[in-house]
Amino acid sequence: MNILELRDISMIYGTVKALQDINLTVQKGEWVALMGPSGSGKTTLMNIIGCMDKASRGSVVLDGVEFSQLNAKQLTAIRRDKIGLVFQQFHLVPYLTALENVMVAQYYHSMPDEQEAMAALERVGLAERARHLPSQLSGGEQQRVCIARALINYPMLILADEPTGNLDEANANIVLRLFQELHQEGHTIIMVTHDPDVGKLAERCIMLDHGKIVQHSNRYEGVAKACVNG
Amino acid sequence: MTKYTMYSKMIVHSLLRRRSRMFVALLAVAIGATVLSGLVTIYYDVPRQMGREFRSYGANLILIPAGDSQVVAETDVARATELLPQEQLVGIASYLYGRIKVNEQPIMVAGIHFQEVKKVSPFWQIRGNWPEEQAGDILIGAEVAELLKVEPGQSVTLAAGESERKAKVAGIVRTGGTEENYIFTDLPMLQQMLNKEGQVSVTQVSVMATEAELTTFTKTAGDKVPAVTPRLVKRVTQSEEMVLGKLQALVYLVTIVVLLLTLICVATTMMAVVAERRKEIGLKKALGAENRSIVLEFLGEGLMLGLLGGLLGTVLGFFFAQSVSVNVFGRMISFQPLIACMALIVSIMVTGVACLIPVKTATSVEPAIVLRGE
Ligand SMILES: Nc1ncnc2c1ncn2[C@@H]1O[C@H](COP(=O)(O)OP(=O)(O)OP(=O)(O)O)[C@@H](O)[C@H]1O
Ligand SMILES: [Mg+2]
Repeated sequence: MNILELRDISMIYGTVKALQDINLTVQKGEWVALMGPSGSGKTTLMNIIGCMDKASRGSVVLDGVEFSQLNAKQLTAIRRDKIGLVFQQFHLVPYLTALENVMVAQYYHSMPDEQEAMAALERVGLAERARHLPSQLSGGEQQRVCIARALINYPMLILADEPTGNLDEANANIVLRLFQELHQEGHTIIMVTHDPDVGKLAERCIMLDHGKIVQHSNRYEGVAKACVNG
Repeated sequence: MTKYTMYSKMIVHSLLRRRSRMFVALLAVAIGATVLSGLVTIYYDVPRQMGREFRSYGANLILIPAGDSQVVAETDVARATELLPQEQLVGIASYLYGRIKVNEQPIMVAGIHFQEVKKVSPFWQIRGNWPEEQAGDILIGAEVAELLKVEPGQSVTLAAGESERKAKVAGIVRTGGTEENYIFTDLPMLQQMLNKEGQVSVTQVSVMATEAELTTFTKTAGDKVPAVTPRLVKRVTQSEEMVLGKLQALVYLVTIVVLLLTLICVATTMMAVVAERRKEIGLKKALGAENRSIVLEFLGEGLMLGLLGGLLGTVLGFFFAQSVSVNVFGRMISFQPLIACMALIVSIMVTGVACLIPVKTATSVEPAIVLRGE
């Protein structure tokens, strides 16, 4: 079943063509890696899929809803209900504890529920750190809080922009193991990464360059080679 | 946990856990509220304070005998002064004038209650001492003292008709006015010597009241006690009100300027706060926050600041007004709950208004900045 369908997406900033005629479909439960050199348009694409930007041209259909006709408020609602975001810089609210940060997502979505938020932190192995402020947590721990927050409202699609980009290897491995678990549970994941080893974990690897898809491969057809080329 | 508790938690933690940042904004509000509540307290207290102050420059009301009569009974005067607001009365001094011989020289004399005159005429300069009440001692004007060549402590002979007695000079009066041509004795003593028991010529009254209030009094008192004719000392009452009016206008102006400055200061601080928290706003929007939620959170923080700063400022403002009052007027002021409430409400309102533009800016932050990692 197609969860996401991008047709002829283009994004133009003044004279910069950040994306050109992108076509892509993502199935439910898939893990897609998005790779490519810096400035190739990966983040731009994530922003469009995540309803944080509108494409200049083309159509995005997420779970049967076409984005181009929606206003800002409706896009916010989709982002809230269907998308879970994980960022390279974690982006936790600095003056709220780990637990409260997870509850903020519940608060904007529907109702804060402390037990459920606590369970989400347990899920990422941070139950003991629930009452700590972000400044008291390591990068890896912050990223796990961020993942717990992304999951709390049962999103249909998880978008992660270089989730391991700011982590050392040990922490990156913990985070990647979490993503593997999520994938096994049937979550749909789109992850931007520069690391070919991370790319190898995904089922499909998409290479972007200068706003275009230059290579599209799956795990069994030399994805490693494709990703390494990037 | 309800949405409301989460909302309050976010606001309180945002203020408490970012203390150094919010401290500046809090300070701005508190200083504004301090000056505001202090000035308004003074604004309301100045007329009272100054009124009392002015009263030391002399009487603003005199009671004289009605018609052609030279004297009026003390009982009538008392009936008239009872009609005045008693707590506003600063002093009442009755005078009986006459002519007697002092050491064989004819001199004008005034019988007074020394303690009362001291209250309504604080500008009298006495060389020597004020006489004790009922001691029979006298004060003599500087001119008279020169004429008779007497010094404080010496005795003089007073003679009126048949009666004659010796009296000690307690002090010499200097006023720069006609008082220097008089001698002053205890009122009952002079009444006795002149055979005018229970009678006075003029009564000076010093009362804290506006010209309008005094005019009303002169009418009612004139009607109720026909033997007495009250008169305003116009020169005094009018200039008092003019000075008060100007003072109040000045305080009013300063208050408005301070309010504006507070507004600008809080608005600038909140602008900086919003700019500093662009990422956080972007994040919240990325998490699905609607503009309404963002507005409510910033407004909540702003109003909380207004409340805390207002409370702090109101308390400080009271002490500010208190110290001004004590140092300038030498008098304590009482805490005015109404002014405190008003200062609090105004601080909250000013902070609310100051937050409008910053909050508007906050809603225009794009969620896309979060992934861009600006
Ligand atoms: N708001 C913007 N205004 C103008 N140009 C933009 C804007 N956002 C992105 N671009 C341009 O679009 C292109 C793609 O940017 P994008 O951030 O998507 O790259 P990226 O693949 O995520 O790079 P990186 O790996 O460095 O994060 C770049 O050339 C960038 O300069
Ligand atoms: Mg990027």
